[in-house]
Amino acid sequence: MSDHAPAIKLEAPPVELERERLVSNNRDLGEISDQICDVMERSTPLWWKICMVPALLLLSMLGAMVAYLVTVGVGVWGNQHPVMWGWAIINFVWWIGIGHAGTLISAILFLLRQKWRTSINRASEAMTIFAVMCAGVYPLIHVGRIWYGWWLFPIPNSNDIWPQFRSPLMWDVFAVSTYFTVSVLFWYMGLIPDLAVMRDRCKKWLGKFAYGLFSLGWTGSNRHWRNYEKAYLILAGLSTPLVLSVHSIVSLDFAVSQLPGWHTTIFPPYFVAGAVFSGFGMVLTLLIPLRTVCKLQDIITVRHIELCCKVTLTTGCIVGYAYFMEVFIAWYSGSSYEKYAFWNRAFGPYWWGYWAMIGCNVVVPQFFWFKSVRTNLWVVFFLSILVNVGMWFERFVIVVTTLAREFIPANWGYFNPSPVDIMTYLGTFGLFFTMFLLFLRFLPMIAISEVKAVVPQADPHHPLGGAEEGGHH
Amino acid sequence: MNKSESIKATRATGPKYWRSLDHLADAPEFRKWVDHEFPSGAEAVTDPVTRRNFMKLMSASFLFAGLGMSGCRRPEEKVIPFARQPLDYVHGKAKYFASAMPTRTGAIPVLVKQDDGRPTKIEGNDSHPDSNGGTNAFAQASILNLYDPDRATRFARNGDSADREAALDAIRKVADAATAKRGRGLHILADHAESPTRDRMRDRLLKQLPEARWYEYEAIDHDVHRRAATAAFGHSVKPYYKLDEAEVILTLDCDFIGSEEESTLLMSKFAKGRKIDPEHPKMSRLYSVEALFTLTGAAADHRLRLPASAVHRVAAEIAAKVLSDPHFEKPEMAAVKSALVAHGGAAGVDSGWISGCADDLKRHAGKCVVIAGQGQPEATHLIAHALNAALGNIGKTVELTPVPARKGGSLGDLVTALKSSEVDSLVILGGNPAYDAPADLDLVNAMEDAGEVIRLGYYEDETAPKQGWNIPAAHYLESWGDARTADGTLTPVQPLLAPLFGGMTQIELLARLANDAVFAPYDLVQETFSGEIGGRNENAWKRFLHDGYLADSAKPALDRVRLMADRVASAVRAASKLPVVGGNDYEVVFYPDSKVDDGRYNNNGWLQETPDPITKLTWDNAVLMSPATANKLGLDNMKGYRDGVHNKLYKESDGEVADFHDGEHNYAERGEFHPEVVELAFGGRKIQGPAWVVPGMADNVFGVALGYGRICPYPNTGGTGRVGGETGFNAYKLRGSDSLKHAVGVKVSRTGEKYQLASTQEHGTIDGRSLIREMNFDKFADKDSEYADFAKGMNMPHPPGMEELPSHGLAYQNPLDELRKNATHSWGMAIDMNSCLGCNACALACQSENNVPIVGKDQVTRGREMSWLRMDRYFSGDVNNPQMSHQVMVCQHCEAAPCENVCPVNATTHDDEGLNLMIYNRCVGTRYCSNNCPYKVRRFNYFDYNRRPLDDLYNTPANPWNRKDGEWELTRWVKDRSKGSIDDDQWDLLALVRNPSVSVRMRGVMEKCTYCIQRIEGAKIAQKVKAGASGNVEVPDGTIKTACQQACPAEAIAFGNIDDPESRVSKLKAQARDYDLLDYLATRPRTTYLGRVRNPNPDMPDYRDTPETFKEWKDHGNHLAHHGHGHGDDHGHDSDHGHDDDHGKEHGETAGKGGHH
Repeated sequence: MSDHAPAIKLEAPPVELERERLVSNNRDLGEISDQICDVMERSTPLWWKICMVPALLLLSMLGAMVAYLVTVGVGVWGNQHPVMWGWAIINFVWWIGIGHAGTLISAILFLLRQKWRTSINRASEAMTIFAVMCAGVYPLIHVGRIWYGWWLFPIPNSNDIWPQFRSPLMWDVFAVSTYFTVSVLFWYMGLIPDLAVMRDRCKKWLGKFAYGLFSLGWTGSNRHWRNYEKAYLILAGLSTPLVLSVHSIVSLDFAVSQLPGWHTTIFPPYFVAGAVFSGFGMVLTLLIPLRTVCKLQDIITVRHIELCCKVTLTTGCIVGYAYFMEVFIAWYSGSSYEKYAFWNRAFGPYWWGYWAMIGCNVVVPQFFWFKSVRTNLWVVFFLSILVNVGMWFERFVIVVTTLAREFIPANWGYFNPSPVDIMTYLGTFGLFFTMFLLFLRFLPMIAISEVKAVVPQADPHHPLGGAEEGGHH
Repeated sequence: MNKSESIKATRATGPKYWRSLDHLADAPEFRKWVDHEFPSGAEAVTDPVTRRNFMKLMSASFLFAGLGMSGCRRPEEKVIPFARQPLDYVHGKAKYFASAMPTRTGAIPVLVKQDDGRPTKIEGNDSHPDSNGGTNAFAQASILNLYDPDRATRFARNGDSADREAALDAIRKVADAATAKRGRGLHILADHAESPTRDRMRDRLLKQLPEARWYEYEAIDHDVHRRAATAAFGHSVKPYYKLDEAEVILTLDCDFIGSEEESTLLMSKFAKGRKIDPEHPKMSRLYSVEALFTLTGAAADHRLRLPASAVHRVAAEIAAKVLSDPHFEKPEMAAVKSALVAHGGAAGVDSGWISGCADDLKRHAGKCVVIAGQGQPEATHLIAHALNAALGNIGKTVELTPVPARKGGSLGDLVTALKSSEVDSLVILGGNPAYDAPADLDLVNAMEDAGEVIRLGYYEDETAPKQGWNIPAAHYLESWGDARTADGTLTPVQPLLAPLFGGMTQIELLARLANDAVFAPYDLVQETFSGEIGGRNENAWKRFLHDGYLADSAKPALDRVRLMADRVASAVRAASKLPVVGGNDYEVVFYPDSKVDDGRYNNNGWLQETPDPITKLTWDNAVLMSPATANKLGLDNMKGYRDGVHNKLYKESDGEVADFHDGEHNYAERGEFHPEVVELAFGGRKIQGPAWVVPGMADNVFGVALGYGRICPYPNTGGTGRVGGETGFNAYKLRGSDSLKHAVGVKVSRTGEKYQLASTQEHGTIDGRSLIREMNFDKFADKDSEYADFAKGMNMPHPPGMEELPSHGLAYQNPLDELRKNATHSWGMAIDMNSCLGCNACALACQSENNVPIVGKDQVTRGREMSWLRMDRYFSGDVNNPQMSHQVMVCQHCEAAPCENVCPVNATTHDDEGLNLMIYNRCVGTRYCSNNCPYKVRRFNYFDYNRRPLDDLYNTPANPWNRKDGEWELTRWVKDRSKGSIDDDQWDLLALVRNPSVSVRMRGVMEKCTYCIQRIEGAKIAQKVKAGASGNVEVPDGTIKTACQQACPAEAIAFGNIDDPESRVSKLKAQARDYDLLDYLATRPRTTYLGRVRNPNPDMPDYRDTPETFKEWKDHGNHLAHHGHGHGDDHGHDSDHGHDDDHGKEHGETAGKGGHH
């Protein structure tokens, strides 16, 4: 902004026209590295220890619950006739949904050149991976004979029986495992330059060795960067359809069946929108406290939060539209069974679930129209939790209300979860938070190199750019 | 732990396995045994000359007795398989033996399947002249009683284990003492049986010991039929109702589908009269007057709900109407008529109903039946007989079969004798009087006054004497015996195996008491048989045992009988003093339970878990009451249930009904039932039980099932057993000598406590869905009306523009259709809902045939019952007086099965013969198939129900404190993984009941109806063997009967090859009434249903224009469409074309009337 800027540099735009910076307080490149690495380099913070205790306790509860389930039977859950899928499938779909935001942020927003993604993509991707891990627990343990779970994989065996490729559960196996593999690869790919940073900064031999091993000999050479950028682009391209496909296929578990309330063509897009919705909800839930405790307010700015809110609002509206459309189609179908299914959702014995879903998924995001709401982090945090609650109820409503009352009234039942259901669900939080806390402690939670690339200091043409202003370290 | 130890201790008393008869004969224990068993034959064993002959003669008895005393298990030494195989033995091939299940008034002829020496399944004997091969739920389940680990397994003296020898000594001592006093002091209390041999033994005993006393007692008074007929006609007869030949039937509180002892026979005959020949449609009409809502009421075309105490008044009114008709007015009936007129009617009964019913009876004089139930006093029966006599039904639709008169005193006489200390020795044969005697008699205390008590009982239950002997009774599958069926045909009871626990039969005990030389039951029965045919004839005897009946031994009906009018008149006059419930009084009706009968099946898990056909309750009884009565008592917590059965369409019609619609307190639909416990008080006695609303019951009436509330859930301690203990409440405690059937003037109060009940059906209405399709007979029989095709007309119309799809609306070709072309058979099933009466025989048959486990009350509350065949029950119409409909639900074997394509591991697939197969070994248990099954007929093994005790399901085997037989469960499991964690003693017995042709499913596996694939494959293999080179491998129609079909007394189920147009199933499916359930899903089920036809009388005040289910469906905005041509609101007139095309000229002028909407 100095009026005696060198000729080759462009005039800085007037302050009122300049976009809010992605990194606030004009932090230079070195400061960014320091800030991010500080989370890993200083001695274990108290808040981390405090969080780790319940996380580990919950994780061991998950282990105990799974052991109990395996030794006794699926009956320990509330699962019953006719609701043969209960919390296991609800939570599977819920966690998978949460696992959507990360890859969406890192892949789709990357392809769309949304630079604001850089501050949040690493943590979101980690969240994705851990959420998919939590989700992946369920399909495995929910089957009646867990020890034969491997029959779902297309492994030729002595019986020469292949899986049934017409089954959506089969598709799930492929979709989820592919998504998980690509997400992990993508995440690791993005980590390599930062791992090298860690390697270079690390003082302890073990860390040096480990970071060195996983940074694959990264030197930051031009050739490395060129290969990196290409690979990143390719993986982003690969991940993008997966973001759309995985939840579409999960939705086919329902849409392919012929139950009223499940058998609808709207499910794939509506599930994807819902997944992105819940994924951003979870991103907000995680990042708002994190940026404070890790002192990363400069990098994860209120603007980031606001943008996440906007995505949540958009997808929330799509989901709301889908809810409306479902009801409309049920009426338009002329099928009394379809009509009843939706009447039952709203006014049947599970009315509370339906209205909790509508309240949290349709009404709550409408608050994000207001900037005052979007910028009030306490409110955003609270609403983001409601979004996650709402999405849980969406899965509950879909899975349970349909199964509990479909074609033959004599079959109708009422599903009640058992304590084991609840404790297993809580246990998956243990798994998630244990993984996430380990991630925070040992890996850079923000893509250092990418953030640096979006600050003005990195731009040689920017007034702040250039070596003399603190760029180009 | 104690219980199992005590059982084992008991078993150790029997001799060990012996290797040959000679080996056995030389053992000193054997000498001792022979000495006790065969006092007169003891010398023969020691005498070398006769010994050989004796051995030959007695080897059969040895076999039984020797095996019996050593328990049920096979020898533990390794046995080499047959060196020379016995001639008739084919390994793995079942044998069938004709036998009969004795009942209180006769027997059910059965064929028993025996696998490797153990009976595994009971089938009806359809070659028996008085049976169509149907059985009932009890007969099907009775096999489980045989293997009940809690049955009396030992000879017990004063509650302690004792030797069989000592017991025989005790019997001999009693016999000797009685002989010395010409029988004085010997009192015998027996249950009811229709056994010629028992009658003979009784007579012989009483002849030898003329001062001995004989008493008979049954908790349920099925004998009233005989008593009343004998009183009415002056001969010792009992009525035999030919319901199949009746065109109009009036039942006076007679639940001939449920609580009557001869229900199997009556059902088969009734269903026959209701079968509709499509060419010449004709069916009988049923009027039912009843207090509870019973299956008979559900089958009725007109139902009058009335307190049981008022039924005789309505009966009298109808009879008075008939007898006042000049056409039926006979001088000899004048006395009866005046008594009936003076009797007075029942309050609040529509006189139109009475006269409408009477007119219908009059119109069908000689072709109608009036039948009174066991729950009615003798007077009602006498009125029924007067009606039958006046209408000329006697000898036509009502036959009077001569029966031997019952001898002996009542239970009250015995108590008097006991109290006056006349009883030196009391012998109790069967029954459980200490539990089910009238409460005021206080039999238990009176029994203490008896000198010696010897009790022959199947359980060590309430009657098992604390001072005295309890001798284990043999199951009928372990016994030689005989019986006469309802028509008097002599029928053998053959043992299928040696008594598992050395049980004794009544006839043997009687022979021993009489000190007879011959007491082997086999000989006794043969003696009776020889007497019947006039001389010993081995061939005839073999034929008798082979066929399971003695041909032409039915007693010819008396043809020249006259009603003893004076007796009837005086009985009617006496009956007018009987109390009738009115205004604010309440009445309790005691009825035998549909599952545990009078309590005798209380420890039978299959029956306990079978839902009651009306209430759908399992594992409990309840205080049944009508919605209005519940309202009056303010039982708010029943609202949910009432909502479940309530149809909101009708709430405007009745202000009271509107109250029921209260979604706020929808307890029932939250999956759990916690009704309030009410207390009933009568005659200073009180019982408490949970309230349960049954729509359509008479108001001010409480229905209470007998047979529950057994004490002491453990064997050998005076209770019922581990299964039935602690189920329900004991209604006998309220029942006095003056109120054996119903009690008038009962006080009721609420307790405020809640009790959880387990019902298998939470929602009782059909919500206007076309699952049940019903029509009135007159509309259906009118071939020109649109209603003639009501069943297909209720299909969901195709969307506009989609009418031209293939017949089933398939948009794509099913690859299985190609396979079908090459298949020899295409299996299919048709269920005629007009014949189905909802009796549950099929459900139990399925359970027995297919090794379906029970899951226990707790699991039933979670909806996890495993029944492959379930009976859906719906109420429709006014909640106070609804119609009830039943629907048997089995796997529909869809051709486009929704379950198949969603299974990720190919565990459920289709075969070329159209069976939807379930491969247990391949199933991993994703349960997706069940979710996608629109009929929800798949059942999942949430736990190892087959291998874990039901109270231990939630316990992990890894739990170090979890020990079975003193061993850590996990170690036990590692040692023998096939065994499970049930105690050894139970496990061995329970394993015996299983059908070896059907695999036992483990936990985590889905299961469902297979159309009894083991029977199909068995028949196919047999046919292949038979075909030989001819290549004719098509199984002839009728060869295969599924278990449910076989058991059905109403012949409602047909199974066979649907590609054969001549097969019974094809012919049924070709009828207009045939429809697919949930047709619009185009699953193309192989199981189809034939719509039910109701036959109401238009002259009756409660005539309904169409059945309530149909009305409900119509009120939901549906219209009858013509099959193949759907039409919604927007193009209703299109159907006229369809009409004309389908029916051609004969349709004529009515087309417009029927086709428009």
